[in-house]
Amino acid sequence: MSTDPIWENSRATDADVPLTEDIAPGTANDPPAGSTAGATVTIDGQAVETEAGATLLDACETVETDGEVLALCSYDDEELIGPRSECRTCMVETEEHGVVPSCSFPAEEGMTVETGAAAASEARDVNLDLLLSNHNLLCTTCGANGRCDLQDVAIQNDVVEPRYGVMHDRSELEPIDDSSPFIQIDRNKCILCNRCVEACNDVQVEGVLRMEGSGEDTRIGFQNGADTMMESTCVSCGHCATVCPTGSLVEQGLVDATTLPVPGFTHKNSAEEIVGEDYEGQPGQMTPMKREHSTENEPRANAESTVEGDD
Amino acid sequence: MATRKGAIGDDSIIRVPVGGEHDGTDCLAAAEDAAETVDVVAVGSTGVDALAPLVLATHDGATAFLFNCTAERTRAALEALEGGSLPDAAATVEHDPGTTDLPTPPKTNGSAALGVGSRRVLAGCGWRAPTSVADYRAARDGDLVVESAAPDPDATRERIGDAALRGRGRGDGSTDAPISAAWTTASETDGEPVVVVNGNEADDHARADRLLLESAPLAVLDSALATAHAIDATDVVVYVNDAETLARRRAQEAADALADDRDLDVSIGVVAGPDAYTAGEMTMALEALEGNDRLEARRRPPGPAQYGLHGRPTVIHTPRTFAQIEQVLGDENLGGVPRDPGTRLFTVAGDVDAPATIELPTDATLDDARGAVALDGGFKTACVGGRFGGLARDLDVPASAPGLRGARLGTNGVIELFGESTCSVALAGRRAKLAREENCGRCVPCREGSKQLVDLLRDVYDGEYQAGMLRELARTMRETSTCEFGEEASRPVTTAMEAFEPEFRAHADGRCPSGTCDGLST
Ligand code: SF4
Ligand code: SF4
Ligand code: SF4
Ligand code: FES
Repeated sequence: MSTDPIWENSRATDADVPLTEDIAPGTANDPPAGSTAGATVTIDGQAVETEAGATLLDACETVETDGEVLALCSYDDEELIGPRSECRTCMVETEEHGVVPSCSFPAEEGMTVETGAAAASEARDVNLDLLLSNHNLLCTTCGANGRCDLQDVAIQNDVVEPRYGVMHDRSELEPIDDSSPFIQIDRNKCILCNRCVEACNDVQVEGVLRMEGSGEDTRIGFQNGADTMMESTCVSCGHCATVCPTGSLVEQGLVDATTLPVPGFTHKNSAEEIVGEDYEGQPGQMTPMKREHSTENEPRANAESTVEGDD
Repeated sequence: MATRKGAIGDDSIIRVPVGGEHDGTDCLAAAEDAAETVDVVAVGSTGVDALAPLVLATHDGATAFLFNCTAERTRAALEALEGGSLPDAAATVEHDPGTTDLPTPPKTNGSAALGVGSRRVLAGCGWRAPTSVADYRAARDGDLVVESAAPDPDATRERIGDAALRGRGRGDGSTDAPISAAWTTASETDGEPVVVVNGNEADDHARADRLLLESAPLAVLDSALATAHAIDATDVVVYVNDAETLARRRAQEAADALADDRDLDVSIGVVAGPDAYTAGEMTMALEALEGNDRLEARRRPPGPAQYGLHGRPTVIHTPRTFAQIEQVLGDENLGGVPRDPGTRLFTVAGDVDAPATIELPTDATLDDARGAVALDGGFKTACVGGRFGGLARDLDVPASAPGLRGARLGTNGVIELFGESTCSVALAGRRAKLAREENCGRCVPCREGSKQLVDLLRDVYDGEYQAGMLRELARTMRETSTCEFGEEASRPVTTAMEAFEPEFRAHADGRCPSGTCDGLST
């Protein structure tokens, strides 16, 4: 990308756009997904022609499949977003490679796929339940109720009682970040699909959001090290909320739009704590920190690192 | 220093190990201080901690083995050599004065570990000066591997293919699989190929790669250079842990020594990465090398052979694999079983006097490793394969990749031995917790699965053993995780359930048969 003259020029004229080298989304340098050439693959006994760049999920989507290929984290609407391939609710069985994630697996010539195979459907079920186990499943007080992909796939998969339960203990919940007048973050609803990070960095080139932490502490954070959205360098473009598949990132105007009236119970008091002060009037689109943009990330592997000590 | 002092063929010499767990730096200083005519050379560790530091005093085709040597004894040994005689020692071995391999003392005298298995890739460890090209050349009858391999890349690839050599260790790009497929892919993919030597291993029990980099770095780098020529790569990058300063320095010195010795048309860089377990995974290694400030595994396929370091076609092997490549390209008869020829390095650890890294041909069984260490108390269980290895009741298992896999054990070259007081349920639980704490956080089966795995084990302590749920979860983690971490994370649990099922039931009934789970809480 950096050799593209158009890109170089636009970068030089727009001081507000961070240099791509400064963007630190905290995510891996993934290889391109999809096949290198068009192919014919067999999905549940049906022959499907695919184009170069196609994944097995692309092929599955053109036919009636035997199994429900949930594919929760995949996102088709924007070239620059995904496949993150992290939720693993899109597993299918292939004759050639066993059980694979269809959303990112290339559709290669001659592959034979069975979506309804027991191993694949078990894997999808278990992974969906694993997602739900880490989710504050209070749909009635959620701003994304009725337009949530997680809710949709849970219904599609006939989930009655997730086998590992759901996150319900209020003391386990992270405080909702209500600091920004535009976007609310409820990390208790986040499935770590990374769509928001890619929307913010790859589409908007704003360099605000990132993936941070590891293991059970993995979460969406800010590249300038801020604790809250208001202290981040967000310009409130709203792209992250648009792509978020759950109620994790919701525009403030919509946080109560679809909640059901439950006496004494609102989205905000469903979590123990809220972060963010009341704001007055209508502040500017940019957070105060936008102007002092800095990226505080240091590379961890260091070619220049010197060796001390002596033989 | 243009040429490193070698140790081979020297008539009167004292070898002092620097490196490993019990470093002989004090002994080295004492010897250097007192030396007049006798040569003093720093070597690497032999891999056997119980004998370290192992100082070797050689005179006239005989070597005295000074186990657990002190500075004082080193000085005394040096004085004896200066006077033209060998010092008194627990073991003395006669050998060809020019031998390039560590002579092994008879199995008596408490030095049994050196006689375990066969020392082939370990032959020079503790004997040759690690960064002396002269010593290395002597061991190879004059020629470097790269010198014979460079002119004919096709022949090099063919020999590796014919040998059916498999990758060693979890950080290899071809773990347990024939490496020639990755070589072919990398050389056929558009772009500038690169070779990565992945020596990053944070599991303190898996010491083989570090041992090779400290004690025999030239063999590793020489074959990495040969590999680079075979796939038309322009550079070699050696990647180690931040904490392993000696391995890093020896690798750098070995690279410099090779560059002094001959014109290298392939550059060698040495880089340190984080001391985290995940940092050794092949794609997280690449992420660290690219300078990413947060490590997570890359999506695959395609793997590193097509899209590796900075998107370049990349062949990534562990030092253990490169050591075997040296054997293949050096025309050695690899031995072992045809499906996994050569030898495998194992570090024997656990409830033992001191860990030992030993080498077994793949047609041996793991039982042979028992002689390398002294176990405290009776043997109860082994965890084979490292942190996420498999639990076994006995070691009657082939030392080959297919053999280990067939027994559902791990292949990362670790055999931890545990005595009667080790509770298998608690052991499996500790490994599950490590998985929960240290995964990179990227994919659901590993990140969320490891949490539920710990919770389901906790349920056992609370009286509920849900074997079906545990197996189903383990299966999903194994089959749907993105990288080797999640694929292996549940292995200690599933193998423990298989080998020690009654213990799980006993815990659910409120009893710990080993008597170690206090009040039955994790
Ligand atoms: S609203 Fe803010 S955080 Fe979201 S994409 Fe736009 S700039 Fe990034
Ligand atoms: S906040 Fe939404 S878009 Fe971002 S990772 Fe979480 S679920 Fe995905
Ligand atoms: S398996 Fe574990 S370590 Fe590997 S990508 Fe998934 S979360 Fe990360
Ligand atoms: S849709 Fe394939 S992993 Fe999420």
